[in-house]
Amino acid sequence: MEDLLDNYIRFLATLTPAYFVELFWFYFVFEFIRYFLLEFIVLNLAKIKAWVDRPKRADARRRLFMENPLVSILIPGKNEGKHLYKLVTSLGEQTYKNIEIIVVDDGSDDDTPIIGRSLERAGLIHLFLRNEVRGGKASAANLALRFAKGKYIIHLDADCSYDNDAMEKILIPFFMDERVGGVGGNVSVRNYNESLVTTLQGIEYFNTITTGRVVTSYLGIYRIISGAFGAFRADVINELKGWDIGPGLDGDITVKIRKKGYKVRFAQDANCLTSVPNTFKKLVKQRLRWDKSLVRFRMRKHKDVLFPTQSFRLLDFFAAFENILYNVILNFKWYVYLGIMLTFYRPLFLNIFITNVLLYTTTNFVKYIVYSLYREKAHVSMSYFLPYIPCMVLYFGMYLRVVRTIAYMQEIFFKKSYSDPWNPSKTSVHAKHLGL
Amino acid sequence: MKHVAQHKDNTQSILEYGDYTFLYLSNLSLVQIEEVQFHSAVIIESKNLDYVRLLVSSIRSSQSPDIYLKPIVLLKREPVDIPVIDELADGSIRNLDELKTVAQITERISNRVHDLTFTNSISFEAEMITKLISLLYTKEQKTIDPVPYVYSNINYYYPLLSVNFNRTEEHSALSVLQIAEDEGILRSEYYDRVYLCSSCSSAHLSYREVCPKCSSSNTTPDDIIHHFPCGYVGPMKDYKNQIDDKLDCPKCNKRLRHIGVDYDKPSVIYECNHCAHKFQDYYVNAKCLSCASDKAVDQLKSIEIRSYRLTKKGELAAVKGFVTTTKDIDETVGTIKYDTFKTMLKYEIERLKQSQGESNLCAINISNSSQVYSKLGSELQKSLLKDLVSVIRSNIRSSDVIAFESSSTIVVSMNDLPQRIAKKITVEMVHILEDLIKAGFEDLDVIFETRIVQLDHSKTHEAHLKELLADLS
Repeated sequence: MEDLLDNYIRFLATLTPAYFVELFWFYFVFEFIRYFLLEFIVLNLAKIKAWVDRPKRADARRRLFMENPLVSILIPGKNEGKHLYKLVTSLGEQTYKNIEIIVVDDGSDDDTPIIGRSLERAGLIHLFLRNEVRGGKASAANLALRFAKGKYIIHLDADCSYDNDAMEKILIPFFMDERVGGVGGNVSVRNYNESLVTTLQGIEYFNTITTGRVVTSYLGIYRIISGAFGAFRADVINELKGWDIGPGLDGDITVKIRKKGYKVRFAQDANCLTSVPNTFKKLVKQRLRWDKSLVRFRMRKHKDVLFPTQSFRLLDFFAAFENILYNVILNFKWYVYLGIMLTFYRPLFLNIFITNVLLYTTTNFVKYIVYSLYREKAHVSMSYFLPYIPCMVLYFGMYLRVVRTIAYMQEIFFKKSYSDPWNPSKTSVHAKHLGL
Repeated sequence: MKHVAQHKDNTQSILEYGDYTFLYLSNLSLVQIEEVQFHSAVIIESKNLDYVRLLVSSIRSSQSPDIYLKPIVLLKREPVDIPVIDELADGSIRNLDELKTVAQITERISNRVHDLTFTNSISFEAEMITKLISLLYTKEQKTIDPVPYVYSNINYYYPLLSVNFNRTEEHSALSVLQIAEDEGILRSEYYDRVYLCSSCSSAHLSYREVCPKCSSSNTTPDDIIHHFPCGYVGPMKDYKNQIDDKLDCPKCNKRLRHIGVDYDKPSVIYECNHCAHKFQDYYVNAKCLSCASDKAVDQLKSIEIRSYRLTKKGELAAVKGFVTTTKDIDETVGTIKYDTFKTMLKYEIERLKQSQGESNLCAINISNSSQVYSKLGSELQKSLLKDLVSVIRSNIRSSDVIAFESSSTIVVSMNDLPQRIAKKITVEMVHILEDLIKAGFEDLDVIFETRIVQLDHSKTHEAHLKELLADLS
């Protein structure tokens, strides 16, 4: 152990700035600049913009309540009956009141129909629709959309819960800019203290997902309106004739809205809590699905945004390009970096590995603490997560990277997303055939 | 032996057979129902069924035993079953040459009628029960089965009983039967269930699927279609192509070709043509065809229809001639219900466990109640009971309570009183009651019997009452 430490101290002593960059270029060029420096700068700019926009925002809120448009809340799902009562009663607590709740039961085989019908009879649900045969999430959402009467559409997941001002907050961006076609809510982890894996996801949602969305939204390249909490202009989503087949339909609809020329915004203050997978095995399944949809939708279905066609828009290009670059290309580039280090710097590999771990961990700590200053409000004490930050290197840098790699390979070479049981095969077979 | 004694008109005549005279009524005879009592039996030609129904019902629904117990024989030229009427009648013949059969029926029934004792009952319900069991006795019938009957307001008819009620009050027959069962005169078993209008108790309901919002039955169903390739879901009208009547997807413009392959119909949606509400879960409403009220089916009254059988007690009651029900005595002012009395007794026993007091239970029984009540009309019976209660009430303390155990037995609590004093008060009360009856009711001998039981906190209230009421009639 002492030898290891002596060896490591000697290694640090030899590090000149040029040698540092030579050994840790991957961290320095891609991770530090993109995921810390740039993010930090944009977070500040976003904060300044939010401060400057305060009067505009207050005016938008006033106009929202003055116009008081009907908002249709769509809750599609299968076997979600057990969550419904809690959800609809919490929606009754919302500060924004002019809502109609439409629940679609996508072929549930539990008590969901009984629960849904009784809530409808009790007047807690405005419309309960049931498809006897499962058609998939997109079809359930589309059925709800077909019978929605609202000027705005909010898509929710039944197992999520919402701050009592969340609906109001997610609607305000529409009144701040009339070109906004969709707004994503801020999803955080409710069961963060259930297991190590949920705690790590809690950090990830805050440090990476939320911050990433604030940054991309400011830059105009926000890409995914979460299916758990997303708002849309009804005319826009009707123009698109609703959702296409998933998995990954939330990212798909966001791109489609962008391609129609509408802006997409992230409402950081519209808070939603969701339950995340509580075991590493379940998380693998979820992430494989998410990551496969990146290849399927960004690199295949919507590849047109990358080429100078008639409908080419720079921001759409940049949104897709940045996504593909940082998630797919650099993911593989990391293996290249690993290969170079193992090949050419083999004697130093252990020291390089330790330094990388220290660099990432330090950055994670700094990011976590600094970004907390930009957090609107928290459902959990910030200090709860601090002891778990060191695990993030393994979780994010290794575990998720491997999962991502497997997902990309499966999708690129085998189009595995089309055989995902998340979607009924009767629809996936057509989607695969049509390249949707 | 047969000859026509008298022609009243073309449709009505009196036939004689031996010592019997039969009133023969054929199609649309104009007859005063009271006239029936002057003949041994009635023969009705069953040509016009509405007329027969009216006539038979009028006879059986009469209040006079001389009329409602009169044998009715149907003259059926063709062997046909006439629901309900067959039950109300006592037999049938094919032609007037069969008067011997009529005479036999008449003789049999008359003999049974002689066994009956007719007395006045206190309440209408008791009156109805008396009538029912008298008819059952004379017809030698032991069962009362419900008959599905189109003319019945509750869809089931108990011929011998329901005939007493007009159409809108027919459901009251069910409460009479229930009381008779509670009194042990009848026993019953489940037969069927009917749903009655909660406003007017009619079972003539029209069930419709209605809009949950405006209750209109004017709705149109439409299939929901799910187009697999693009995920569009909407009613069939969205897909209808105006040009060639084929189905085209409004989202991706593809033609729908093969159900189960490129599309399916996962559900149905209804659209209300009145308020435009769209829904999948229609409500079922029942419109009452009698009073026109339109209500959700869960608001209907669910009623059990039971078939009944006369018990031994019922048969005896017909012969003995007096029927009373707890309904009669429960309504007597100054008394509490017997069940409440039992509960209070239970509490008093509990109280005695804690204190050293002496409490008593007293019973005053009219030993010859059957004779007494049969001499009195229902109003006088009520008046007698009221006077009895009034005398007892004025001789006991206000904290003590009175209840009827039966129409002939009154139970009184006498708490915190030595048994010696309680006995003295009871004897005094009986003297006063006897004096009262002598003064108020001429030629009426009422025999009172009294019992006193001192409460013992080691025994249950049931045991006390058993001891108190043992051998009292």
